[in-house]
Amino acid sequence: MSFITDHILTWVTFLPLLGSLLLWTVVRRDDHARVFALAVALADFVLSLHLWFRYDGPGGQDMFTEKVAWLFGGKINYHLACDGISLVLVMLTTFLGPLVILSAWKAVTERVRDYMAMLLFLQAAMLGTFFARDMLLFYVFWEAMLIPMYFIIGIWGGQRRIYAAVKFFIFTMVGSVFMLVAILWMYFQAGGMGLEQFLALDLERQAQLWLFGAFILAFAIKVPVFPLHTWLPDAHVEAPTAGSVILAGVLLKMGTYGMLRFAMPLFPAGVEAFAPLMSILAVIGIIYGALVALVQPDIKKLVAYSSVSHLGFVVLGLFSLTPLGVAGGIFQMLAHGLSTGALFLLVGVIYERRHTREISEFGGLAHRMPGYATVFMITMLASVGLPGLAGFVGEFMILLGTFGSTTLDHPRLLTALAATGVVLGAIYMLWMYQRMFFGKLTNEKNRDLRDLSVREYAVLLPLVVFMFWLGVRPGMVLDRVEASVERVLAPLAVPASPHADDYPQHALGGGTADAPVFVVHEGEAHR
Amino acid sequence: MTHFEMPLDATSWSVLLPYLVIGGGGLLVMLVDAFVRTLKKDHLSYLTLCVFLASIVVQIAVHPGEGPRLGGMLLAGDWSRFFNYLFAGIGIMTTIFATGIYDRDGRYRPEFYPLLLFTVLGMMVLAAANDLLAVFLGLETMSLATYILAGGVRGNVRSSEAGFKYLVLGGFSSAFLLMGMALLYGYAGDTNFDAIARVLATGGGATILVTAGSALMLMGFGFKVAMVPFHMWTPDVYDGAPAYVTGFMATAVKAAGFAILLRVALLLQPQLAWAWYPVLTVFAVLTMSLGNLVALVQNNIKRMLAWSSIAHAGYLLLGVVTLLSPAVGDPARQALARTVGESAASAVLFYLVGYSLMNLAAFGVVNVLSNRGGEDADDINRYAGLSRRRPVAAATLAVALLSLAGIPPFVGFMAKFYLFAAVVKAGLVPLAVIGVINSLVSVYYYLRVIVVMYMKDTEADSYDGVEWVSVATAGALAALVLYLGIRPDAFHAAAASVIRQLPF
Repeated sequence: MSFITDHILTWVTFLPLLGSLLLWTVVRRDDHARVFALAVALADFVLSLHLWFRYDGPGGQDMFTEKVAWLFGGKINYHLACDGISLVLVMLTTFLGPLVILSAWKAVTERVRDYMAMLLFLQAAMLGTFFARDMLLFYVFWEAMLIPMYFIIGIWGGQRRIYAAVKFFIFTMVGSVFMLVAILWMYFQAGGMGLEQFLALDLERQAQLWLFGAFILAFAIKVPVFPLHTWLPDAHVEAPTAGSVILAGVLLKMGTYGMLRFAMPLFPAGVEAFAPLMSILAVIGIIYGALVALVQPDIKKLVAYSSVSHLGFVVLGLFSLTPLGVAGGIFQMLAHGLSTGALFLLVGVIYERRHTREISEFGGLAHRMPGYATVFMITMLASVGLPGLAGFVGEFMILLGTFGSTTLDHPRLLTALAATGVVLGAIYMLWMYQRMFFGKLTNEKNRDLRDLSVREYAVLLPLVVFMFWLGVRPGMVLDRVEASVERVLAPLAVPASPHADDYPQHALGGGTADAPVFVVHEGEAHR
Repeated sequence: MTHFEMPLDATSWSVLLPYLVIGGGGLLVMLVDAFVRTLKKDHLSYLTLCVFLASIVVQIAVHPGEGPRLGGMLLAGDWSRFFNYLFAGIGIMTTIFATGIYDRDGRYRPEFYPLLLFTVLGMMVLAAANDLLAVFLGLETMSLATYILAGGVRGNVRSSEAGFKYLVLGGFSSAFLLMGMALLYGYAGDTNFDAIARVLATGGGATILVTAGSALMLMGFGFKVAMVPFHMWTPDVYDGAPAYVTGFMATAVKAAGFAILLRVALLLQPQLAWAWYPVLTVFAVLTMSLGNLVALVQNNIKRMLAWSSIAHAGYLLLGVVTLLSPAVGDPARQALARTVGESAASAVLFYLVGYSLMNLAAFGVVNVLSNRGGEDADDINRYAGLSRRRPVAAATLAVALLSLAGIPPFVGFMAKFYLFAAVVKAGLVPLAVIGVINSLVSVYYYLRVIVVMYMKDTEADSYDGVEWVSVATAGALAALVLYLGIRPDAFHAAAASVIRQLPF
């Protein structure tokens, strides 16, 4: 096994790619393609479990490092590594991988082979993005992600799929090409493309502002941060179910991951200058996303806008620059990946049966589909942030972190506004649930709907289990993340928080909950 | 003036050998066609392929050393070897693409093969030229043969128009070039590059002559590489010529043009960078932007690729601009100047190869479909549903187009990376930004073709059968596009070493 464990990151990353190549070249029949793709995705998940159980990086260090000279005799390297932040997002990716393939089992009947190959290709590119520690390598993976997603939306999507696919592609490209120029510029300052070389740079303030702008544009489009979010509803609505799940589950996290890994530690001056703006945009996104979700007649659009709202929380958490807020942001990424991924799967389930997503077409579904209603209920509550489920932990930590932020201008006002987003979230979700599931079964077409099949349970139950698990044992994730967060944010040199003891190792670190929990001090007078 | 008594010793012969193989091969093909009665259609193309392969073998086997040879007329060594390989490779691909078409459409054109060989001969001389006379000889040999190639589809009005247009405008540009050379000769008193370099270094002579002369020469070369505002012929000619000829022109002619442009830019850089740098900067930006913007609205794939090739000429010009930038000319920072110049020039070489690969892959597929569907065969909408009917052809074209758009992990991205890296290294960040904005615009029209191929469907299958040798060749090129996109380093290092071998 050592030939695998010695290069574990390469294996985890490129196994799906190998699978997609085999799908294109060797596998001929559709049903074989499905089984083969599922097997590859499961194998990849098993491989990534090795990371999960072996990762114990002291001080949140990178582990499993692989570094091979790539270009210019070692100035640019094939450099993969994994720390706590990468780890949790990679686990989310490999965990969603097989579920997504299973979800497309019956829904996709055209060009099954190509579809499965694209999903695996996408997975490889996403994993590479999380592992890359060389800026050019990161960029290559980051851009390569566009290709399969573009095809997934454009070939297997809905009515306006071509518009959505091209919009998705162009929007994302717009951001990233400027990042490329910024990367090139820094490359000549640093003499290499390694992230650690970039971090070692001591740049002037003016340069940092420009570079931060170039980086943040790329990431903000991907997240998406209001007002750059307009591609998202289109892409989500038109994408096939599996595409939406990956998009919401993982792809959007690329943006927040990029902020955390690159934009924030590399340019402290940029963060200092832009943090107020970013946090305001985040809050606008939270409220705006929720308000727009409220009035959507289409379930999928509703979920799509709820993503804008939820990702706003993540951005707010990151730019609160408190360990609590940042760790909460990461946790929220994970929780959102589970709950919104599951919501899209659930939307896909009903769409497969009824070929409509209009909320008004439904009503009283709980009578016909009790299993579906139950799973939907749990997922919806997780998304809303009910205590005990995954969504609560992240949002709560973010709000706490923002409240105690010493760097933002009006932390308490921002927190209060963001909290209204939680309330609005509960409103649009519960109202949608009520209209779909409660009341009398009025629409004749819904009379003989089948409840969830075994396959659909197999897709959804793992997600539900983890929504509970993360809700009651968040320490499982936070333990692995916290040290890495400290390490990544070290260059920012945030003025010591007056309530550093609230840091989750006491508060939420599973098992040590005897320490004072959630004590919120008055934030010091802000600048 | 250099005296032209050629010492025809063993070294000189070894320098000449690749040129003799191609030129003699051309004559041989012509004679075989004229006198061998029992010839089957394919035989000439096999013979042509053999000639190209022989020239490659000769290049590998014979090492005449580095430096000017044959009384200073030609530059021997890695530089010319690099371009000779490139031209031979493009020639081989073009032969393959052309052959498949002849088999089917009944318009068998035996004269194509010797003309192709003569064009390549001209390009080889042009790229290796170390003397203004050799430049003109090579350029005219190349151009005359290309005029006929472009207009070569007998009975096709658009092709005839293309050939004629190209001929007339090409004649103009040659006249400019010749006038420029005359002025440069008047300045330096010699046509040899080394001699001109010496005169430039000492600073003697009338500056007005060299400035005006180089400006006129720039026009001539600009015409060949389709630099805006000397690009007007490109769309019509590329559209009218048969697709395999268009592919050849868009790659080989462009590469030859940039080879000599690079040489002349390097030659004049010490004295004339101040004049060329701003002018070429404007031209490069115009070329990129106009090419991309007009490509956006094309419905004919050949016209689209024509405008896209203009845009790519703009990116390549960025490399030349970088070469002439103040950072390279800065005598106070010799070390930096040297590395910037080197990385710019090697980026141009790498870009030329990458561009040739992806463009040939694209034209390989376009060519196969172009000759099948009648008048509107090149309409992009006719590609609807291609991915279902011809998955390999569609995938090849998709890879080629994504690469042209500069998306990783294809060679087009790496080529742009090296190029923009050199631009940024020279401190020309605004130019790099303009460059990336341009490649952003280009994404849209490249994607459009992919959208049609993969995301739209038609009932009618107008393309009956696809010539599989061409498709397989294009597919192999696409595989190379992918490979060089992932492992570009060895090849880029080779390009850099080619640059280091140059005398100036």
